[in-house]
Amino acid sequence: MASKYPRSLRCCLPLWAFTLQVAFILLLCFLISSDIPQMQQKFMVTYQVIPDLTLMAALGFGFLSSSFRRHSWSSVAFNLFVLTLGVQWSILLDRFLNHSFIQEVTMSLSSIQTGTMSTVPVLISAVAVLGKANLVQLAVMVLMEASAFGVTRLVIKNTFHVDGHIFTMYGHVFGAYFGLLVAWCLSRSLPRGLDEEAQTEKVQMATSSSLFAMLGTLLLWIFWPSFNSVLVEVPNDKRKAVLNTYYALAVSAVTATSMSALSHPQGKINMVHLHNAVLAGGVAVGAPCLLITSPWVAMVLGLTAGLISIGGAKCLPVCLNHILQIQNPGGIHYTFGLPGLLGAVTYILMNKYGIFELPSQLINDFGALSFVLAMGMASGLLTGCLLTAKVWRAPHTSKYFDDQAFWEFPHLAVGF
Amino acid sequence: MRFKFSLMAIGLEVVMIVLFGLFVEYDIAHQVNATRSPKTDQFLQLYPLFQDVHVMIFVGFGFLMTFLKKYGFSGVGFNLFLAALGLQWGTIVQGLLHDKGQNFHIGIKNMINADFSTATVLISFGAVLGKTSPIQMLVMTILEIAVFAGNEHLVTNIFQASDTGASMTIHAFGAYFGLAVAGILYRPGLRWEHKNEESVYHSDLFAMIGTLFLWIFWPSFNSAIAEPEEKQYRAVINTYLSLVASVIMAYALSSLVERRGRLDMVHIQNATLAGGVAVGTCADMEIPLYAAMGIGSIAGIISVLGYKFLSPLLGNKLMIKDTCGVHNLHGLPGVFGGLASILAIYFGMSAGSSSMAMQAAALGSSIGSAIVGGLATGLILKLPIWDQPPDENCYDDSLYWKVPKVRELDPQFFQHAHHNHLEHEV
Repeated sequence: MASKYPRSLRCCLPLWAFTLQVAFILLLCFLISSDIPQMQQKFMVTYQVIPDLTLMAALGFGFLSSSFRRHSWSSVAFNLFVLTLGVQWSILLDRFLNHSFIQEVTMSLSSIQTGTMSTVPVLISAVAVLGKANLVQLAVMVLMEASAFGVTRLVIKNTFHVDGHIFTMYGHVFGAYFGLLVAWCLSRSLPRGLDEEAQTEKVQMATSSSLFAMLGTLLLWIFWPSFNSVLVEVPNDKRKAVLNTYYALAVSAVTATSMSALSHPQGKINMVHLHNAVLAGGVAVGAPCLLITSPWVAMVLGLTAGLISIGGAKCLPVCLNHILQIQNPGGIHYTFGLPGLLGAVTYILMNKYGIFELPSQLINDFGALSFVLAMGMASGLLTGCLLTAKVWRAPHTSKYFDDQAFWEFPHLAVGF
Repeated sequence: MRFKFSLMAIGLEVVMIVLFGLFVEYDIAHQVNATRSPKTDQFLQLYPLFQDVHVMIFVGFGFLMTFLKKYGFSGVGFNLFLAALGLQWGTIVQGLLHDKGQNFHIGIKNMINADFSTATVLISFGAVLGKTSPIQMLVMTILEIAVFAGNEHLVTNIFQASDTGASMTIHAFGAYFGLAVAGILYRPGLRWEHKNEESVYHSDLFAMIGTLFLWIFWPSFNSAIAEPEEKQYRAVINTYLSLVASVIMAYALSSLVERRGRLDMVHIQNATLAGGVAVGTCADMEIPLYAAMGIGSIAGIISVLGYKFLSPLLGNKLMIKDTCGVHNLHGLPGVFGGLASILAIYFGMSAGSSSMAMQAAALGSSIGSAIVGGLATGLILKLPIWDQPPDENCYDDSLYWKVPKVRELDPQFFQHAHHNHLEHEV
């Protein structure tokens, strides 16, 4: 039998993080010049959106997953670690993949911006894995997923000619299914039934940490219009993106609350449903938001996304947990996965083409979507298998969803 | 403290209003006809940055100080009170010093600078957190901002040193000022672990909100008063990279110094920000990217090491009890930032006018004036007329706030008491 005590990370984590950071500094030093690029726009125009994005990524995603009773510290703090690692690696990857080696590349605010945008799928899948993986495993996952995402972006851009905005919106689907498969691999390597019993108590939410999760949800909810409109260049399109997202989010918030009450026998509202379903509208409207010209379409989309999300939260855990053995406590499947798919399909159907090229364009678009899905699943499976290796010193099953494995508690205070 | 505190605060506020009436005017006199004068343009340009700084001061610093289990109300509440008072006083003092006692106009830059001046007070507040009464804090705010404005005037106008992100004039100054005050106010009764001086699970999570807000908006803080466009651009990128590097280093080091490779929440809350503090002075210089990341990494390392080894030493040997550990978050990285700027000028990375000697003088005068001012303030605060809380009531909200009877939010916690036992270490 394995040791009951959490395995020590003392030699593993510092070494790994230190090496990565030094490698990043060296790579940046040789590959990216520190000159200021020619400024096309005023400083504030380019800068304004970066705090919004960082706020969503660091605070929003961090607190979104903090609703587990005994795992809030890890959710918030690991999220920050994943974010910083992911942004650096994405900036470097962008330089590797999109520019030749001789080319002079400068560091600009837009590289920070795209770096943050491409880290969002990683943060989504981190939510699915949180509680079962330690920081070392998460770091490996970040490297794998960001690379897979970068390669996918390159292929999509060159083969399927899908633009950056749409691809970033497909990122939700990518991240969600990647995370689900990693979580599946992690739970499959354990003896059946052992983990469920250990987790049931810890996965329950507590009032105060549910409020913390609400903080994350609200921040994400507030800044989602910025997220959906970042990569849109044309001012008119940008306005459309913001307005559509705004209305879709509002509708999905109303839908989520009412459907959550409707689906409970006594008409009680479930806080966990709110955390997730409220955002579904924003995710769903992401891809098609440039094509929607009147608010009612966006609102219908928000309504559908809210319904799907609550429906998923109600019905899917049953089959996911028992048949496929996928643990999905963070609910990313129905927050990001299903609404993201809905949005992608809507985008493809709404794309108005000439009559003659209809089939080929349609096939192309569906091809792109299924390629993203396939890449997400394949790389997720690969990463999951990699993460089950013994070298990462994964936490013991009895320590799943438990901060005690990762944190020093000088006080072991009341209330924990 | 019913009458003493309220009457003093109201009296001060009246004084502020009178001073504003005498000296301060708005900066909008000449633009009745012009639709977009450069002044309005600058206002709209800088307003988002000002907002970010405002969030950092009120939400960031406020929540960062909520980590004590019974002192959360005071952390956020007094933070708001002191910052609101301090920014008025800062506007007056900075304006008077800058304009040699004349009437002066205020614009967006004055608002940003006034917010900056309150940051010093909030940093010092962190050092004495829990051991002082609101009246003492009020007196400290007034004195500290006066000293700060004098030092800042000396550094920027007489030495002409470059200190965009204010590593020296705000962070190092605030930290050493606070340490000096804490040293004078040292009480033997608080030397050993006080029963309230610890955190609980949720108070640490609240503190994490503050950390994240500070982390997110730090690039705005360092670029707010940089010269427009190119230098601001540089400041943002350098600060961002430095912050990112210091996060990774803080995690690595925290895991290295703790038992069994675990992390310590105190390190994560604070050392992740050290990169932003340290890169402040050279944020807008033409330093290469790897230098910015290097500064961030080293700052993260020294901050964690400071928490682990230096703070206990300060507390036990030098009789300075630093509640929040501001010395490790603001003091050491601030000094390091000043030294880094001297190096940067040595390697010719600064296009500005400042020289190495002037940077060194700025660093010296910041620390010197902070210590002298702090000692003097500490002596004034030690007078028995300010209602200092007795030892047993330190770190406790109930002395100043109406608190709910039952503190824990969730009675369910106690049903799972069997999880509270410590696992035996191998």
